[in-house]
Amino acid sequence: MPRTGPRWLIFAAVAALPALVILVPLGSFLAMSLAHAEKHQIIYDWTLRNYASFLGNWTYLSTFLGTLWLCLEVVLLSLIVGYPIAWYIWRQKSWKRYALLQIAALPLFMSYIVKLYTLRSMLGLNGLVNQALVSLGILEQPSQVFLYNQRAVLITMTVIYLPYVVLPIFLSLERIPRSLLHASTDLGAGGWDTFRRVVLPLSVPGTIAGALFAFVLALGDFITPQMVGGTTGFTIGRVIFSQFGLAFDWPFGAAMAAILLLVALLLIVTAGYAASRRRV
Amino acid sequence: MTKKIRLDRRDFLIGSAAAGAMIAAPTIVRAASKELRVLAWEGYAEPEWVEAFKKETGAEVKIVYVGSADEMFAKMQGSQGADFDVVSFDTSIFSRYLDANLLAPLDLSKIANAGNIAPEFREVKEVMRADKQFGVPFAWGSLPMVYDADAFSTPPDSWDVMWNPEYGQQLICMDDANNCITWGALVVGVDNPYNLSDDDFARVKEKLIEQKKLLLSYFAGFDEGVNMFAQNSIKVMYSMGEPQVPALKNKGINAALTIPKEGAPGWLDCWTMSAGATDPDLAHQWINTCLAASVGEILTNKAGYGNTTNTDVNKAAGFTYGDKLSWLQQAENYEKRVAVWNEVKAG
Repeated sequence: MPRTGPRWLIFAAVAALPALVILVPLGSFLAMSLAHAEKHQIIYDWTLRNYASFLGNWTYLSTFLGTLWLCLEVVLLSLIVGYPIAWYIWRQKSWKRYALLQIAALPLFMSYIVKLYTLRSMLGLNGLVNQALVSLGILEQPSQVFLYNQRAVLITMTVIYLPYVVLPIFLSLERIPRSLLHASTDLGAGGWDTFRRVVLPLSVPGTIAGALFAFVLALGDFITPQMVGGTTGFTIGRVIFSQFGLAFDWPFGAAMAAILLLVALLLIVTAGYAASRRRV
Repeated sequence: MTKKIRLDRRDFLIGSAAAGAMIAAPTIVRAASKELRVLAWEGYAEPEWVEAFKKETGAEVKIVYVGSADEMFAKMQGSQGADFDVVSFDTSIFSRYLDANLLAPLDLSKIANAGNIAPEFREVKEVMRADKQFGVPFAWGSLPMVYDADAFSTPPDSWDVMWNPEYGQQLICMDDANNCITWGALVVGVDNPYNLSDDDFARVKEKLIEQKKLLLSYFAGFDEGVNMFAQNSIKVMYSMGEPQVPALKNKGINAALTIPKEGAPGWLDCWTMSAGATDPDLAHQWINTCLAASVGEILTNKAGYGNTTNTDVNKAAGFTYGDKLSWLQQAENYEKRVAVWNEVKAG
């Protein structure tokens, strides 16, 4: 039997680094959210007034709710696009499957900013999307509707976060034992019935994980709205960002970030609970 | 078999002292020769005059560039000025540095080239405190209107053009709380655009929300504004500065700038001496070098900023509108400006 002493030590050694680089900064910004700024000095007086002023400010609160709504739209759209992609990859045989999987994961190797610039030039007035639509005769002339609005933010975020949705869904599909599919066929279920009653329910945990990734990433993204959102791309991330420059209201920014973190955590816990109940 | 290395306390101390001396050696050697530590914006310490300065004084020059005024202040405050000898920043934040005691007064008798400074930059009250002068003006510029000259037969004479629905979705504006509130205040005609009352804020906010409906987008950086202008057939923008015009011309846009009748914000950067300057004479020599007329010429023709010493070069480059600018000042309340700007963007 292993002694408990050394095991504890090993655990402490392994946990020290994550604690240092994750928990300490988190703790410091939670502490910051309870301070207040005065004349470029931060005074730690353990007050909740930053939280109160956020909840009492309709501009920020409605921006926050609008951002949550936008993130839900991103999740929905990326599931609608991502699930069929994952399913299609999963249906392929041998090398083809992994080649497609590689391609689906390829955007993860590219810088986020590069992807943003690429998408922006594609969606722009003289971009690929407009050129294609005009040459196909769908549009008579290039349109500005694809860029500098909320729709652009939605499209861009969905494209950028798609790999984070496809991969977990694929993984949960791959974990489904082939025998279950054979059994379903043997029992006379058609392709659609097998999908609806076997594949779909068993892939729920991966789907929830993918949806969570998309939601949390979209929630914290303050660059995409700025780059492609035009005058309507104002999200809570921009509000938080604005507290750290000229305003020098770090405590208020930290409080809003803490609320964002809380919402994300709450969602992760709820979704994790839902996913674990689904597990067979 | 491994040999255990044992270190006793004395060995350790001797070893550390030796290591410490080795690490410190370059500093000790360097301290013997002269060194000037510069904290500035890019373009303010170019090889053309840095090399001449080095040759003349025999000093080394160590330059640190920063990307924002906040970063610059943080670097100075972090060391109480001890990390730098000379610093350049604009007149609107002088009081912040002076209040934090980060600057040392200048002795103009040690700066022969101060005589080169053009008359309009000689009496700048922001650089004075208690009859002592803490800065000398070095470079200036504006936040002008930049427009597509192909779309206008004569330059627009008023910012009203950016409220004209005819140019809807063909306008862009920088995303900067302080500069945009100042701009709005100039347009609605507030007496002092740096000291707004609650009533003024409400008027500015309403005006800017009205303008937002016609904007294609805000832009966050210098190049971002240029690219957005060029890619979307933009007609007019509230620009981040003069150098955006040549950048647009490089992209084939017939861009031009103008200062409308309401005025436009202007900035005036000055050289100052840090309170922690190790060699005040050397710092004065640096400022003297920067005020040479030849440096002003390079500053204007290479970096695209207005200079304070060479009027002919300014005229040739089009920097003739210093009197039309509203020089940026310390604003009444920056937190409030950011909050109002957020309300404009959310509105």
